[in-house]
Amino acid sequence: MTQAAPPAAATPPASPAAAPKSRTAERSLARRALARPEIGALVAAVGVYIFFFAVAPTFRQADSFATVLYQGSTLGIMALAVSLLMIGGEFDLSAGVAVTSSALAASMLSFQLTANVWVGVGVALVISLSVGLINGLLLIKTGLPSFLVSLASFLMLQGLNLAITKLLTDNVATNAINDMDGFESAKAVFASEVTVFGVDVNITVFYWLAFAGLATWVLLRTKFGNWIFAAGGSKESARAVGVPVNLTKIALFMTVGFAAWFVGMHLLFEYNTVQAGEGVGNEFYYIIAAVIGGCLLTGGYGSAIGALLGAFIFGMVNQGIVYANWNPDWFKFFVGVMLLLATLVNLWVRRQAARR
Amino acid sequence: MTTNDLTKPTPAAEGTTEPVVQLKGVGKLYGNVRALEGIDLDVRPGQVTCVLGDNGAGKSTLIKIISGLHQHDEGEYVVDGKPVRLHNPREALNLGIATVYQDLATVPLMPVWRNFFLGSELTRGPWPIRRLDIERMKETTQTELSAMGIHLDNLEQPIGTLSGGQRQSVAIARAVYFGARVLILDEPTAALGVKQSGVVLKYIAAARERGLGVIFITHNPHHAYMVGDHFSVLRLGALELNAARDDVSLEELTNHMAGGTELAALKHELAQVRGVDVEELPEVVNSPST
Amino acid sequence: MDLRFDRRSRAGLATIAVVTVLLATGCSSQGGKKAQDSADDISAGKANTPRMKIAMITHAAPGDTFWDTVRKGAKAAAAKDNVELVYSSNPNGGDQANLIQNAINQKVDGIAVTLAKPGAMKGAIAKAEKAGIPVVGFNSGLEDWKSQGLLEYFGQDENLAGQAFGKRLNQMGAKHNICVIQEQGHVALEARCAGVKKTFKGKTDTLYVNGTDMPSVKSTISAKLKQDSSIDYVVTLGAPFALTAVQSAKDAGGKAKVATFDLNKDLIAAVKSGDVQLAVDQQPYLQGYLSVDSLWLYKNNGNFSGGGEQPVLTGPAFVTKDNVEKIAKFAQKGTR
Repeated sequence: MTQAAPPAAATPPASPAAAPKSRTAERSLARRALARPEIGALVAAVGVYIFFFAVAPTFRQADSFATVLYQGSTLGIMALAVSLLMIGGEFDLSAGVAVTSSALAASMLSFQLTANVWVGVGVALVISLSVGLINGLLLIKTGLPSFLVSLASFLMLQGLNLAITKLLTDNVATNAINDMDGFESAKAVFASEVTVFGVDVNITVFYWLAFAGLATWVLLRTKFGNWIFAAGGSKESARAVGVPVNLTKIALFMTVGFAAWFVGMHLLFEYNTVQAGEGVGNEFYYIIAAVIGGCLLTGGYGSAIGALLGAFIFGMVNQGIVYANWNPDWFKFFVGVMLLLATLVNLWVRRQAARR
Repeated sequence: MTTNDLTKPTPAAEGTTEPVVQLKGVGKLYGNVRALEGIDLDVRPGQVTCVLGDNGAGKSTLIKIISGLHQHDEGEYVVDGKPVRLHNPREALNLGIATVYQDLATVPLMPVWRNFFLGSELTRGPWPIRRLDIERMKETTQTELSAMGIHLDNLEQPIGTLSGGQRQSVAIARAVYFGARVLILDEPTAALGVKQSGVVLKYIAAARERGLGVIFITHNPHHAYMVGDHFSVLRLGALELNAARDDVSLEELTNHMAGGTELAALKHELAQVRGVDVEELPEVVNSPST
Repeated sequence: MDLRFDRRSRAGLATIAVVTVLLATGCSSQGGKKAQDSADDISAGKANTPRMKIAMITHAAPGDTFWDTVRKGAKAAAAKDNVELVYSSNPNGGDQANLIQNAINQKVDGIAVTLAKPGAMKGAIAKAEKAGIPVVGFNSGLEDWKSQGLLEYFGQDENLAGQAFGKRLNQMGAKHNICVIQEQGHVALEARCAGVKKTFKGKTDTLYVNGTDMPSVKSTISAKLKQDSSIDYVVTLGAPFALTAVQSAKDAGGKAKVATFDLNKDLIAAVKSGDVQLAVDQQPYLQGYLSVDSLWLYKNNGNFSGGGEQPVLTGPAFVTKDNVEKIAKFAQKGTR
């Protein structure tokens, strides 16, 4: 190091010793596919499908597949919203009961006011979005981890669900609303069946696929999607370059609220009455579906297609075990194994990406 | 939010070097503790001003004032000849003063091009289907990085897979593209190895070539001397040395950095230890403290 | 092969030998796995009717002794009737309905279903009937089985059982009871407490506990008993909770007595010893057995109980110290 040397300014920065341009081409297709968050879920989905196809004859029927898809869809619509939230770096433990809250609100409001059920549907949407907004604001104002904040709102909603239902109906389930104005049209929107090639498929399956497409587009092709990844990947860096991190997180919580409303409306119009105690525990299935689909628990990484696949796998295992006539006592065990495998695949994929 | 159509800085011609940012006798108090006192600093376009100092010398306080995180209590902070008082980093950014922090530069899991445009994304199409203009962003990223002499194989790779030096360099290129006139680099080489530090130093030089005023914070006099045009050494919150390149040698700089008498004592101690060749150590110059 | 052992492996062998001897000689002379194995399930030969497939779909949460007994009854009937039994369960209404859909896809010959959430089952049951699959109800859904077109119903009227329970409490001289509900929002449990409240002359308080967390059940009941010393009876709605309530009552001074809905073999012992005063049995084994057996009978001989008008009541059967001996040996096998 010669101190007499002039500042390096004189020499323009040389290109780093002949950067090997050809490395791009060498990255094989498989290698690039491995970098996608949903690849683990895709492999698992194909494997689970082939497996049940082989062991359970009933599983091969088209109407059985429709049942699997339906199971996947009610879980999957929530899992989509939850996966976006997780990519944004947050959890929502109140997501499971929020579905029930929304259905209860719509049902009781319509019944108590003897109003058109669409009034209840509208108010339920406002309530669901408000729950999301409150979750988000609490998170930002308190600075506590979302795990704690949403745990509190989970417990509060659970209590409110029962207390208000008992207060208004003197029962733990809502009154049937299937004879009220607007029920038929609402059922057509939220809970009708569509016949595809002679198989009845619940409309939620199509919503599920449409929402997955929308979520993917938002994530990968819009500014907001960029902000979601940034907010979850590194909050401080995102803030430093001007990403409205707080706004992004609140919007994500409200997205979960919207999904809870949608699924709640489906449950209400599919099953006419709502039990106050339902939905507890589902929040973990949403998170599991998202994780199987490649979302990192630490945030900043994941995909909507992955969450779709995660919920689909969940539906397949859920119904497949019954089609195969296995002892259902083992169901939770298989779910646990799946989660473990999915997490290991994710870990491995992440290491591959980090190593490159 | 910075928009992408900010006019690009034109390299300042030699000689017309009015300072963009100027500190005149700036001081800062934290309660009763005096963190900075009487700091004079000029940052001119196309020049690298190195701020050196040991841990606790007041370097980070100085950056925080310039970047708008803290406000000064004494003296004047002048931008383009007008005294200012910045309340947040956004105001500083709007004046063209961008800070690249060592750890907070990027989102590791996101692709390079998404990181480059993060917070200032380019879009196309009307509102409901307004979408990212991915082609244009990738092209621009490629062009801007090339202009800084950064060559990457694949803009889709997560920026976390780049080396520390490359990541800093992308952050520098980003600041330059989004209209920065003054670039504050907070210890960009601190956590890097020799080779990676070299990469970063090269991009600092490149930024200067593009006419930016650079404030290079470091505690490594060798790194500073390789790219610096002006050197300010902080010691206990005050300027110990404030000199142009022509007025100071690397030895002097090193000496100031370590604190002359302390280094002399250290040299003496080391001389007792067999195996350390004291002759190889830089000569200690006992310069009067300013 | 090298047959020599070094000293360590010889020591190891000696240890194994000692343990084996201990295991062989140190057996418990009563109880344990062996006693259980020798008490075989009830078997009554096997029908030579064609193989048929019956789906049993319940709202049970996994791991409940009550539902295990239901399943044992169903299994016994299935074995006797040459039936392939497909058992599945889910406490969530929508998921349970989906399991019915699953059974329809499997083209089963009959479905036995619990109507804990009748509204949720409606659509799926209608589909099963449309597909020509006979459906019987059991355990819960007394109000709805007829309107939903079910063939027959086996179960206990929870509200009636509660009322009978309340009357028995009056006879036993109770003044103030707490009705412990282990699952907030469960229709059948609420109905039991409502029934008790209706006929009981003294005061009835409802206490909600978290049924999945026994320590919390125990401490909640204790706290309530300590807080209000006038309580002389704890009414629980499931056998495991009764046994916990016995401990709570001891903690709180032992004044309050315990009476409960439902039965299991540990509870029989508690009734024998006088820890639990009264248990009301809805005979889950019978519910499971009859559901499967009736579907077999319907298929092979066209019979159905109650003529599609009246439910077949499997309870309430009261168990007290006086009659506990009679059913104790069945309970020991886990079939009562």
